[in-house]
Amino acid sequence: MAAIITRSELPEGRPTVTYRTAGDRYVLVEYGAEATVDLCANFFVHEVARRIAASPIPGVRETAPGLRSLLVRFIPRQISQCDLVAALEEVHHQVPPPASLTVPSRRIVLPIAFDDSTSREAVHRYLITIRPDAPNVINGNNIDYVSRYNGFADRDDLYSAILNTEWWNAFTGFYPGLPSLLPLDPRCRITAPKYNPARAWTAEGAVGLGGPCIVIHPLETPGSYQLLGRTLPIADLVRSERSRSLDPVMFLYGDRIQFERVEEGELIELRRQAFEGAYEYRIELGEYSVSEHLAEVSRLSDEVTSRHAEPASAVRKVQIP
Amino acid sequence: MTVSGDSFTKSIPALEIVDPGLQTTVQDFPGRLGLQSLGFFPSGPADHFAFRVANVLVGNPPGAAALEIPLGRFHAVALHDGLISVCGASGVDVRINDRSVSTWEAVPVTAGDSLRCSVARGPGFRLYLAVSGGIAVPEVFGSMSTFLVAGIGGLDGRALARADVINAHAKGAQRKRGYRLPLDLRPRYTSNWEIEILRGPHADPDFLTESDYKELLSTEWRVDVSSDRAATRFHPHQFRWARDRGDVTGGHPSNILDGCYPLGGILAYGDTLTVLGPDGHVSGGSTVVATVAHASMWKIGQLRPGRDTVKLKEINLDQAAGLDDHMQFTLRPQQLEPL
Repeated sequence: MAAIITRSELPEGRPTVTYRTAGDRYVLVEYGAEATVDLCANFFVHEVARRIAASPIPGVRETAPGLRSLLVRFIPRQISQCDLVAALEEVHHQVPPPASLTVPSRRIVLPIAFDDSTSREAVHRYLITIRPDAPNVINGNNIDYVSRYNGFADRDDLYSAILNTEWWNAFTGFYPGLPSLLPLDPRCRITAPKYNPARAWTAEGAVGLGGPCIVIHPLETPGSYQLLGRTLPIADLVRSERSRSLDPVMFLYGDRIQFERVEEGELIELRRQAFEGAYEYRIELGEYSVSEHLAEVSRLSDEVTSRHAEPASAVRKVQIP
Repeated sequence: MTVSGDSFTKSIPALEIVDPGLQTTVQDFPGRLGLQSLGFFPSGPADHFAFRVANVLVGNPPGAAALEIPLGRFHAVALHDGLISVCGASGVDVRINDRSVSTWEAVPVTAGDSLRCSVARGPGFRLYLAVSGGIAVPEVFGSMSTFLVAGIGGLDGRALARADVINAHAKGAQRKRGYRLPLDLRPRYTSNWEIEILRGPHADPDFLTESDYKELLSTEWRVDVSSDRAATRFHPHQFRWARDRGDVTGGHPSNILDGCYPLGGILAYGDTLTVLGPDGHVSGGSTVVATVAHASMWKIGQLRPGRDTVKLKEINLDQAAGLDDHMQFTLRPQQLEPL
């Protein structure tokens, strides 16, 4: 039995679709070109997931988005793989081209303290216990390395790139509540290689960069993303699931995050309030217009092209871990 | 007798832990299923077959919460009269006080009885201990299963420790008559397993070459000693790959843009094949070359790290449905011998 079930071309403006067997309980649906970080493919993924949630396909139990894919879990006694693919194909034809979508999207403002003491502590432990000669550590932190890797003159330019855009949650995964964020402003695209080998400890609340994605660590876990700083706790798993509706904390796909710079002392105070339940997380319900996004991206395209010539040459001057 | 909760969720102390063993946890089935888009794999038993059998033998619903005991070596004291059953890994000496009792059947206990399991000396790795009534711990995100990485579920989100007291639901806790699973319906354990998989989602021809895929099926994979509930790792092996290098996401040809993984997915994590277990990570940027059939996942839970070997056998969807039917048949109470 082949791994690829079938491929299909959707009407104009929509990504091509590849359906893949993922065992007898899942189908993996992939959208668009394989190697491209394409927000439009991700918008489309979210819209398909939302449509299925709103009008369920009998036998489908859940869907889980990725950057350009959707994992669909089904009960084979209730729907065959073949019928499932047909039902998904029908949904795909109903979803309008990404360029015409306006999608529900919460905006969440989070404070960030760059180069905080827990990030430095994690880097310090890594140097002592795992890799003393890690090229991605300069001056006891990853920030100076990431700045050079992206061709910035100094770390303030890196901070500006992080602060001057909203970050789009492409999907929540890896571990509970962990968002994978892409910048909505193309001028703020930054990238970094991952740790090699991985780091054994990362503080809860740590903000890291790996590949094109920023992640926030909801838990104390190992990690391999370059550490930039720290924010508030984002996943209150222990107390109860009320956190899902009342508190911030579990990021949904399609949420936007805006970082606001604070000093570490202030962050520690805000974190204390969060743990005491006294902090009011800043969450606005809202929508996001993909067509406005695309218009903005195309308006900025010249600026982006010239800006991205610099990092390409910078990367060559920097050692990869 | 301590009674906690309201009249619908009344629970009574069932076991006091004397020696918890390696890493014994409370699990239920199917666990925290349905939350993958929030980043949760389901947790639950690594061997969902022996687990459910243990429950039905003492009269519980098959998914009720019970204990997962890796390797064996466990000692507890019963705190009320009722039934227990131990299923799973073979070569285990289970004793109530000084009397040896059988596995795969319900055994009556009275308050004060000592219950000991030896280390599992035969094939298989995990034991399941069910108590009549079913273990009662608070649900977290819809399940009582322990998820150690996040520190949630089970008893305070952790493995059991000496002097822990485990409660059971009062309803049915003092049941007297249980069942035995007939010999011919018991799963056959071995040290050299054959495990059924379905090809893909990322196999040949676009990711693996045709001969890579043949190697996947012909290789006798050794189960690495670092295997656990999150991931079962096989010995490193270099495939040729159908492409030179990975995407923008990394240098290795096994790398792709991040997406969600199926439970039981066999990842090419660089040069190490890794089977995702119930506590695994839900997404990432590795190709998934094959996926273990749902009805065969119990075998992954019984692999002994550092000792067992695995050959993968490709089946199709019809065969997977057949394995499912067989498993459902075995779990029907009509198949059990009343005691």
